[in-house]
Amino acid sequence: MPERDLTFDNEVGLHARPAALFVKKAGEFDATITLHKAETEADARSLLAVLKLDVRRGDHVRVTAEGDDAEAALDALTELTGQL
Amino acid sequence: MTDLAGVAASPGVGIGPAWRYVVEELELPEGPVPDPSAELEALRTAIAVVADDLQQRADAADGEVAEVLDAQAMMVADPELADAAASSVRDGALPAARAIVEAGEVYASALAESTNEYLAERATDVRDVCDRVARQLLGRAAPDLAELPSGSIVVAHDLAPVDTAGLDPTQVAGLVLEAGSRTSHAAILARAIGVPAVVAVTGVLDAVEDGQVLGIDGDEGTVHLGEAAVRDAGLRGRAEAAAAERDRLAVLAGDGPGATADGHRIELAANIGSVADLRTALAAGAQGVGLLRTEFEVLDQHEAPTEDEQYERLREAVDLLDGGKLVVRTFDLGADKPARFLPVEAEENPALGVRGIRLARAHPELLDAQLRAVRRAADHGPVAVMAPMVATLAEVRWFIARAEAAGLRDAGVELGVMIEVPAAVLTADAFAAELDFLSIGTNDLTQYLHAADRQNGALAALQDPFAPAVLRAVQQVCDAASAHDRWVGVCGEAAGDPAWALLAVGFGVTELSMGAASLLPVRAALASSTLERCQQLAARAVAAEDADRARAVASEALP
Repeated sequence: MPERDLTFDNEVGLHARPAALFVKKAGEFDATITLHKAETEADARSLLAVLKLDVRRGDHVRVTAEGDDAEAALDALTELTGQL
Repeated sequence: MTDLAGVAASPGVGIGPAWRYVVEELELPEGPVPDPSAELEALRTAIAVVADDLQQRADAADGEVAEVLDAQAMMVADPELADAAASSVRDGALPAARAIVEAGEVYASALAESTNEYLAERATDVRDVCDRVARQLLGRAAPDLAELPSGSIVVAHDLAPVDTAGLDPTQVAGLVLEAGSRTSHAAILARAIGVPAVVAVTGVLDAVEDGQVLGIDGDEGTVHLGEAAVRDAGLRGRAEAAAAERDRLAVLAGDGPGATADGHRIELAANIGSVADLRTALAAGAQGVGLLRTEFEVLDQHEAPTEDEQYERLREAVDLLDGGKLVVRTFDLGADKPARFLPVEAEENPALGVRGIRLARAHPELLDAQLRAVRRAADHGPVAVMAPMVATLAEVRWFIARAEAAGLRDAGVELGVMIEVPAAVLTADAFAAELDFLSIGTNDLTQYLHAADRQNGALAALQDPFAPAVLRAVQQVCDAASAHDRWVGVCGEAAGDPAWALLAVGFGVTELSMGAASLLPVRAALASSTLERCQQLAARAVAAEDADRARAVASEALP
């Protein structure tokens, strides 16, 4: 299953507007996208799950994707993370 | 009890029927439900209705309110939340209303435990959206401020930004809150839209009945229940006197663009912090915007606003102005006005510290994004841009270079700076040679000319814009600009004082920018004096030995 490691260097991590942007972007793909931080995971299409994951500035997150457009989804999310 | 006391939060007298905004506690049904699949269908419909409503409100709002509403719309449509609620309905035959509230509570309590302030605050949002879905399911919708009968006085415990997002200022005669202070969100909003307000009125919701006549005194901070009490408090008389004065000024002011009695055009513009302020200002007769405080809406944002976001806001203002000019002031931030997205070191003397253009030079990427947004907005209507807190020609040149790099000159955007520092007054001739306009900020200029802290009540007497030093500074700036054929505006509070405005016009100011409430009296004063009269007054006032004498001279010409 394709996966990427993302680091959130922006001020607020995956909270507030960046979280909303990330979840909206993930929702554009058919693939099932999951964020893994330490032992916990979150469905990338659920804002509540992503907020609960509490990704802060400097945190490393592994993202996995499963489905036809998995690679495209990971590319898009990696690009977005760089712009947050 | 027919008279209640609170805290005056927004001036003026308001009289009208009470409209109580009360959100009653929901009682959730227990279940089990006989037909879980029908219940499931009802749940999906209710979620869709609430999500749609929140998204529409988000689209109609701006700034921080829009961000909160957008996040709420995403929460209510959250697939995990919906799945959790749906499975309790399907497998446990739980009523949909209880299922959604309980599913939401799982997330809310987890978020509430967070040490992160932002996440902890989001718990309230989750509970709020689930409550909305439950109310939708049970047919117990909370009252909607958007459906307020015209001319009502809103009586509430407190109003959140979410509540006030749909409020139409022209429909409200006044605002009374049980909670709150002068600086609470609702109080600030009331002042911005010019609606009288009294806050911290204990027990008012219980004391008032829906539809009962209420009079509120936003100057004294009192609320009067019933027609007799309203009359006894003299509110009818004051409301009538205020209306009569408005009518008298309206006749004097006439229609059309602002001008002196002999037809010398003066641009009457508004100081605004948001698109909501602009709507109020346009309704009050503003021709343009002389000061858009761009920092106002973004102070609480956790991230710096993107170029696109800024463009959208500017574009909305340009469209509303419909040909009127928009003067954008770049971020005026610093230790005294910190933004969440730009933490700055505490300073010994923040008013003399790294603020305005000084902070922009440390973070040029912020200024550049702003300038690019201005460039794009200029495709849709007349836009000018100015930098705050400029003291030297080097700063002027740096600002011009950034603006030119962003394509502003080519796009026909006028470039200017604020004149609020004594050094800028003394070198205004050099500034004017390279800029299109100068805009005098009288509040800061008065404070810096007298070396007297604006925030220090003991020095209030030194904050007088009629003081000889301030009038001479305005005269000097106008002469310097006129030598280079540039225009001068004023965007400090003095511009909204009709007597001071006459002096400014006499010195050569051609744009006056003020709060919406001042537009009518200033327009009436201008329409009653010729340009020559203003010039004579200005010559006498600038020679007066103190502020009181200068004020007396200018007041001679008031209608």
